[in-house]
Amino acid sequence: MTLILSDRPLHIPDMDQSTTELIDLSALKIANCVGCFGCWTKTPGKCVIRDDAVGVYPRIAASDRVLYVSRVKYGSYDTVMKTMLERAIPVQQAFIRLLDGETHHVQRAVAPKQAVILGYGDTSAEEREIFRQLVARNAKNMNFAQYRVEFAPEDAVEQVVREEVASWARS
Amino acid sequence: MGKILMLNGSPRAPRSNSKQYAELFSRGCKWDAEYAAITRTNHLELCQRLEEFSDLLFVFPLYADCLPVTLLHFLKTLEAHPPQRKPTVSVLINCGFLEPEQNELAVKILELYCRQNGYPFGSVLAIGGGEAILGTPFRILVRSRLKKLAASLERGAYGRWKVTMPISKGMFLKASTKYWLSYGAKNGVTGEQMATMRIEE
Repeated sequence: MTLILSDRPLHIPDMDQSTTELIDLSALKIANCVGCFGCWTKTPGKCVIRDDAVGVYPRIAASDRVLYVSRVKYGSYDTVMKTMLERAIPVQQAFIRLLDGETHHVQRAVAPKQAVILGYGDTSAEEREIFRQLVARNAKNMNFAQYRVEFAPEDAVEQVVREEVASWARS
Repeated sequence: MGKILMLNGSPRAPRSNSKQYAELFSRGCKWDAEYAAITRTNHLELCQRLEEFSDLLFVFPLYADCLPVTLLHFLKTLEAHPPQRKPTVSVLINCGFLEPEQNELAVKILELYCRQNGYPFGSVLAIGGGEAILGTPFRILVRSRLKKLAASLERGAYGRWKVTMPISKGMFLKASTKYWLSYGAKNGVTGEQMATMRIEE
């Protein structure tokens, strides 16, 4: 299962819809995480906020290949993608484990992922470096077995995504 | 004498550890330190209030490896509505993990924001084990570092500190498991239920 999670609409005509799902977060209603820990300690594995996010994080967990498309703001994901990533914590348990010598949350049934993170927008070299470091941190908490970070100007995003999807078809 | 606005960027601000850290900070601070939580609707009001303050202290938890989206939203508003006199920005961040170093990337993001937007950058206190440390005897370590943080703002002699529970990682794993089991038990949820591998099933 392959998932393209985007903070903007994308038109990808060559996408194989039998193996790949495209979710446009900008078209969904997703509230901010309220930090209640309900998904860990009240209804484990389920967010207590029953909005569109509950249809997204199970797809994130199940996918073994992901492409995240997000505007970069201050070296971070911009708010649309960041809101969803925060709402994805039901895929983790409250419990802590050691990973690479650091403490991190235990994952529930989260498939190890080949991840490509495409950051777009008018970014400086410093922002791009911080964003790379952020994705490296995410890799530990989002079960990225391998990952690659790419950058594109805003007007080239769709073309870069199409090329990435085409490369999957060839592999 | 300066004046500090402590802005809580936690998504659960009224019940947050960040609020407790802010309260402890203000107790150890000789300057006037006012507190406000960032909400969905008060961004412009907070931007206007900033005119009165020499210092801005962001207090927040690490969230998905960086700033909580509550704070990101506010930063975007502040970028569009900056105060005429820009306060010095300091950071009081906590994460639930034992290693306070896991907070460093979030601090880098705020430093970048300050450079991009012309805010002088001040001091940093990064707290590890931040979900539980105030309920342990190690809270005394936190209080001590908070006093240093406050003194650094008062003197304009900025620095960086970190604090965590001085225990082994193995001991932290045991203690955190006990902490979360107790949290679940209050909701009538067992450890086995909390450890389910199922997601939305």
